[in-house]
Amino acid sequence: MNVLFAIATGIMFGMGVFQLLRRDLIKAAMGFYILFTAINLLFLAVGAYDGVIPAYAGLPAQGRQTSDPLVQALILTAIVISFGSYALLLGLIAVSSRRFKTVDSDEVDHLKG
Amino acid sequence: MEVLLLGPIVIPLFCAAAGIVLARNRTLQQGAGLLAGVLAWLCSLGVLLVNVQGDILTYRPGGWQPPFGIVLVGDLLASVFAVMATTVMMMGIVYALGCKDKCVSYPAFMPLFLCMGAGLNGALYTGDIFTLFVFIELMVIASVVLVAISDNKLGLEAAIKYLFISAMGTLFLLIGIAALYATFGTLNMADIGRLLAGGERPLLAGAAAVMLMCAFLVKSAVFPFHFWQPDFHTTAPTPVHSVLSSVVVKVGVYGLIRMMTLMFTAEAPLIQDLLIVLGVIGIFFGSLGAFRTYDAKRLLAYSTFGQIGFILVGIGWGTAAALAGALVYAVNHSFIKAALLMITGLVSSRTPGKTSRLSEIGGVGQTLVFISGLYFAGGLALAGVPPLNGFVSKVALVQGGLGAQDWLVVGLVVSAGIITLLYMTRTWQLIFQQAPAQPITLKPYGDQPFAPAVLIGLCVILGLFGSPLLAVAAQTVAQLADPQLYIRAVLGG
Repeated sequence: MNVLFAIATGIMFGMGVFQLLRRDLIKAAMGFYILFTAINLLFLAVGAYDGVIPAYAGLPAQGRQTSDPLVQALILTAIVISFGSYALLLGLIAVSSRRFKTVDSDEVDHLKG
Repeated sequence: MEVLLLGPIVIPLFCAAAGIVLARNRTLQQGAGLLAGVLAWLCSLGVLLVNVQGDILTYRPGGWQPPFGIVLVGDLLASVFAVMATTVMMMGIVYALGCKDKCVSYPAFMPLFLCMGAGLNGALYTGDIFTLFVFIELMVIASVVLVAISDNKLGLEAAIKYLFISAMGTLFLLIGIAALYATFGTLNMADIGRLLAGGERPLLAGAAAVMLMCAFLVKSAVFPFHFWQPDFHTTAPTPVHSVLSSVVVKVGVYGLIRMMTLMFTAEAPLIQDLLIVLGVIGIFFGSLGAFRTYDAKRLLAYSTFGQIGFILVGIGWGTAAALAGALVYAVNHSFIKAALLMITGLVSSRTPGKTSRLSEIGGVGQTLVFISGLYFAGGLALAGVPPLNGFVSKVALVQGGLGAQDWLVVGLVVSAGIITLLYMTRTWQLIFQQAPAQPITLKPYGDQPFAPAVLIGLCVILGLFGSPLLAVAAQTVAQLADPQLYIRAVLGG
């Protein structure tokens, strides 16, 4: 299971970094989100047990391994934050594309010096 | 007493929510903002006063016992940084009340400003490394929006750039957190410190240390990760700039100190060697960059770089005296830099084009005698001239360096202080002394000088009566030297 996670996380990191380095700001923003999804996968992989049933206090485990609830809480928080940042980033790019009439990051560079 | 820890986090958040409700009534909204700033400052001061007596405060929201629940910890290090942060925040709010910028009148401005403050204080007080991430993100997102709505049209571009770069920093932080959780199964910093002190060095601990360090270096804009900082800070509205460039960059410094003294004490010598090199590069890059820049606000942003370098060198020397010097330096630099930025913003608010370009504001300040005096005092304080607080912090830092017997770096640090003096006096002459190239008609009203005057007054007071701050810094370092104090306070037993 962990090998699968490692491969999937690695592929997503690679895709994310590749997209992030594109000149197109919207593609770069997509890379941003892919990277955060890769992190969420990484968090799932570092959970304490490979559980198959949810962990409830007082519920008998019936001989099966419970899953680690903490990483799921972490992922939920990370999803909310990365989603919020992504929405904000897309909003900023939308405004900037209207103002500068381009989404090419090479042409949006008025801040030199 | 423990409830005081909640104050600097919850009160600004609550007033930010109230500010959104009161969006129609600007006076009430501003009143709520000012109230939040003052109350947060009082709460953080209260925590510091308790800490000085030797206690470490812990607050457990919801009653969950650490290491399972989130815990807020107010030890001396966190309190010193939090008092510094809330003081500058409060002055930033006061400045915003008298600010003529258009963006300050937006209904979203005050809530966002308070969210930034809440995130800052939360990042300082939290004892849980994932909560640290959450608070840092709150701060980053609020500051990105504040810069994007800036009167300066380029703020939008700077905000997009910073959001990308800060996301990379956050990514490092999250990978570090995942590595720590995979290794130790806990997110509580005290618990991680306890397990790491146990002697066993799992493979991932080193990786986590590197990742956390990268994240904090990005947040502090230290040499290899510095390039976003002048752009992002220069385009920010003045009240936001004064907070960003003075206290928000210190979150990374705080994180580095915390991580070296609490968690990765065995790796600390290695990190310290690296910090000295990065600090010296930062000092020279920042100071020389400040020389050749074209904008008065950008000059101060570059200067922040150099000043962060001084603090890192102090941390890098690692002796008790040097670390205390670095803490004093961090606090004093915040007040000086915030005041200088407010004064620069004030001058540029009086110019017709609201510009701070050096080519256009030459001689603008000739008639503003009071402001000129404030800027001169701030510039001298930044350069470390007695009797101002910059002198106290430079002396404390250099004494630490002499104790560490690192002669080369001491020499470099002292000589870089002279560069600071040169660029500050040059800018002061350019803005306030020189005759303007063509006659300029100043606007009759600009931003209010109350907040920078108070901060410069604070600088003078801290310069004349520096011993309480030095004593608190020495006590902080003594507390940091024994991580068991923190661990026992959080985990009990």
